[in-house]
Amino acid sequence: MSWMNSLGAWQWLLLGSIPPLIFVLYFLKLRRQPLEVPSTFLWKRTIEDLHVNSIWQRLRQNLLLFLQLLFVALVILACLRPGLNGDQLTGRRWIFLIDNSASMQATDVSPSRLEVAKAKAREKLSTMNRGDVAMLLAFSDRADVKQGFTGDKRRLMAALDAIAPTNRTTDLSEALRAAAGLANPGRASFNNINDVQVADALPATIFLMTDGGFPPNADFDLGNLTAEYIPIGNPTADNVSILAFSIERNEEKPTQIEAFARLSNEGLEPVSVTASLYFNGSLLDAAQANIAPESESGVNFQLTDLQEGELRLEIDRPDNLMVDNVAVTALRPSRQTNLLVITPGNKALETAVATERIQKLSNVRVEAPEFMETPEYAKSNEDASYDMILYDQCSPKVMPNANTLFIGSSPPDPSWTFSEPQGPVFLDDWDKTHPMMQFLELGSVRVVEGRTVKPPESGSVLITADIGPVCSIAPRGPFQDAVLGFSLIKTTDTGAEVNTDWAIKRSFPVFVYSAIEFLSGGITAAAAQTVLPGQPMGLTLSNRYEQFQIQKPDGNRETVSRGQQSQLVFTQTELPGIYQVFVDGRESPVEMFAVNLFSARESNLDVVPELPLGAENVAASKAVTRGRSEFWRWLIAIGFLLLIAEWIVYNRRVLV
Amino acid sequence: MQNSDSKDAPILTPEMMAKLDRLELVSRKIFRGRMKGERRSKRKGQSVEFADFRNYVSGDDLRFIDWNLYARLDRFYLKIFLEEEDLHFHAIIDDSLSMDYGTPSKLLAAKQLAAGLAYIGLCRGDRVRITRFSGLDGDSPIMRGRASTHRLLQYVSSVQATQVPPMTDVIKRFCIRNTSKGIVVLITDLMDKTGYESAMRLLVARELDIYIIHLLSPEELHPDIKGDLKLVDCEDGDQREVTVSQQLLRRYQQTLGAFVEQAKSFCNRRSITYVPAQSDQAADLLIAQYLRQRGLIR
Repeated sequence: MSWMNSLGAWQWLLLGSIPPLIFVLYFLKLRRQPLEVPSTFLWKRTIEDLHVNSIWQRLRQNLLLFLQLLFVALVILACLRPGLNGDQLTGRRWIFLIDNSASMQATDVSPSRLEVAKAKAREKLSTMNRGDVAMLLAFSDRADVKQGFTGDKRRLMAALDAIAPTNRTTDLSEALRAAAGLANPGRASFNNINDVQVADALPATIFLMTDGGFPPNADFDLGNLTAEYIPIGNPTADNVSILAFSIERNEEKPTQIEAFARLSNEGLEPVSVTASLYFNGSLLDAAQANIAPESESGVNFQLTDLQEGELRLEIDRPDNLMVDNVAVTALRPSRQTNLLVITPGNKALETAVATERIQKLSNVRVEAPEFMETPEYAKSNEDASYDMILYDQCSPKVMPNANTLFIGSSPPDPSWTFSEPQGPVFLDDWDKTHPMMQFLELGSVRVVEGRTVKPPESGSVLITADIGPVCSIAPRGPFQDAVLGFSLIKTTDTGAEVNTDWAIKRSFPVFVYSAIEFLSGGITAAAAQTVLPGQPMGLTLSNRYEQFQIQKPDGNRETVSRGQQSQLVFTQTELPGIYQVFVDGRESPVEMFAVNLFSARESNLDVVPELPLGAENVAASKAVTRGRSEFWRWLIAIGFLLLIAEWIVYNRRVLV
Repeated sequence: MQNSDSKDAPILTPEMMAKLDRLELVSRKIFRGRMKGERRSKRKGQSVEFADFRNYVSGDDLRFIDWNLYARLDRFYLKIFLEEEDLHFHAIIDDSLSMDYGTPSKLLAAKQLAAGLAYIGLCRGDRVRITRFSGLDGDSPIMRGRASTHRLLQYVSSVQATQVPPMTDVIKRFCIRNTSKGIVVLITDLMDKTGYESAMRLLVARELDIYIIHLLSPEELHPDIKGDLKLVDCEDGDQREVTVSQQLLRRYQQTLGAFVEQAKSFCNRRSITYVPAQSDQAADLLIAQYLRQRGLIR
């Protein structure tokens, strides 16, 4: 005999309170109706005969009470679901994949696509027999196992209820991998299906409840899985969305800002919408856009004299998916950084840091190496008043509290290793993915003499030459140190000599600008960066602060600390809107970024008739087969009410 | 449950009186009356009805010597005649509050019965007196002869339900005030919490010809009540909480049956004629048929 709990804690409490209640009902002093009789003489004798005043005498004769208590005991027993284990060890295995991406918030089916998907899953779960097990996964751009394989319907239902909509995009592959884990064991990869199988496969049926809207999963093989696609949604859903929204500062006229937006009509009717632009909550401008069915249109706004703040674009037309009717961006606070250049004299370098763009980005101060001996340098080092220090052909005695770039010199840090000067040096390879190395072409750069630069273990090489790495970058606590193994000018007995022709190439000022932008953390672009909901946001922030507070669109603040990383990665970007970064002691934000659902796939509310899963196409099934609904709990409840009614009738309406 | 309508109902209708005219009260015992009546007495006396002869002894009234026998036998024989006497009839009405219950009320039925029986007595020249439980001076005057019918009805009509002393006290008072022998008809529901037995014993000691008409209303015999009730005694305000169920009603019937049976056997053992009656039975029918069978009426 085995038992299965089918009730929750409060339900047990309720059920458990019934037997004492029945017991109490029997001894409750009723409000009796007075009735005048000629004499209580005979009644007194009658009652005395019955011995009603004795509780136990009364109990002994009260068959009805015992029947009722027995009934409740049976009900409690029924709720424990006693049963015998059958011969069959395992029943069916079901995996429910429920899409909770942004498009599932669409209200083209009532109340929403996600609720309909949950209702269908609930229907299917109710048909589970003893021995059947099911697993519940919610997926958007990531998979979330809500409930592992279990036969406990109550837990499955609770997990199902807990699935909430997200603003994320859709990617099925992770969910499929999780689902396939048990069905197709021992796979080293999904690309190679000929590897050794280490465990018995457990075939399962996947119920995929989604509206589509994800990239095809060509490299997935169903294997032992059987997929059933249950489309959710109405193919004729109506939606107008903002697919892009950005602002750009006019290079010639810095006070002018242009805002662009791309609008898309996913419906089957042409629409005319008004896009309203708000700045910090007040209406700034509006534009009318006529969009043909299943096509896109753009709107742009010319703005002038705007300081930092939030720009919000809204489409004022109600449709089935509202989350993509609003887009935000921010005019970032401009921030100048402090840059100290220490050089014995280097014309090329001084020219490179004197460009207009670098002047906008940073306050540049150029000093001779003797400056390092002054108390001002020591104090600035203590206060961390410089965001970046560039050491050209010289090095400090101790590493400063700032990001550094060493050109032709070595930092006073034993973890860096350098070779003896060698030459000539031919630059072979450079890491174009690194922000400092973007847009650089170094193939034609010739270097007379240089040293290899081997960074500490956590560092990475930026430029590799024939002699080895010649430029590397490595973190030092919250700071970053970059070292270039060759200088621009070589000081010899005869005087200064040119060591490389890089200084006269176009790539040199670009490198200096990129290095200063990356290492000093300055902001020049007008528009804040934007990411999709749920995607991580990388923030390059001033190294002067250790802790930052990030205010989310809902007003909640999250305190994050940079730790040992030079770049702060913020992952809690579920809500669309503007995120502001604050530091202690400053009222205005130091950085802003935006989270927008700019996804044509999510905004497109079409329901795909067929789902490509690897080599197979899974056709939409009409609906989940409607299962048998269990009414036994209701029947018990009705029976119980009847029992109470019977008790009342028995005592009140005795037929004489 | 008290019935006010029944208070205005006539005690005796002309039809009833016509039926009762022909009847006569019968006593199983021959009592000595105070006046000569229409009734034969055990006493031999002056009458037209011959009883027996006996030898003359000196001192006998010479008027009763049968001279014809003396002529034939030459001895004195005395003719003995049965003396005719009147009968003492007492009706005791229980006018306690419990009697004013039922449809029609038990008190009305009691009054009708008492009046009916008393009327029969008056018609036959018997000495009739009606007593009620309440009040020391509440007894009716002694009535005799058909002419007293009006007084009888007036008195019976004036009887109302009220608080009464225990039955024993009532009977004790009755016995002290009425020393004569005769017929006593006690009309009551016997619902006296102090018990009726001692009262009965007092009556039995007086060697009266005792009839008890035990009156119960249909509501008492078959109570039509249900649910959770607080029963209030109309006499002493005593309260009993009951939940009326089928089982309880069955028990009540058993208790009632036992009570009636007990009263009956108590009476039978003491030569008291016990007559059970229901308040909804017609009084004339009860008298003409039921009491006739029991020998009270001829």
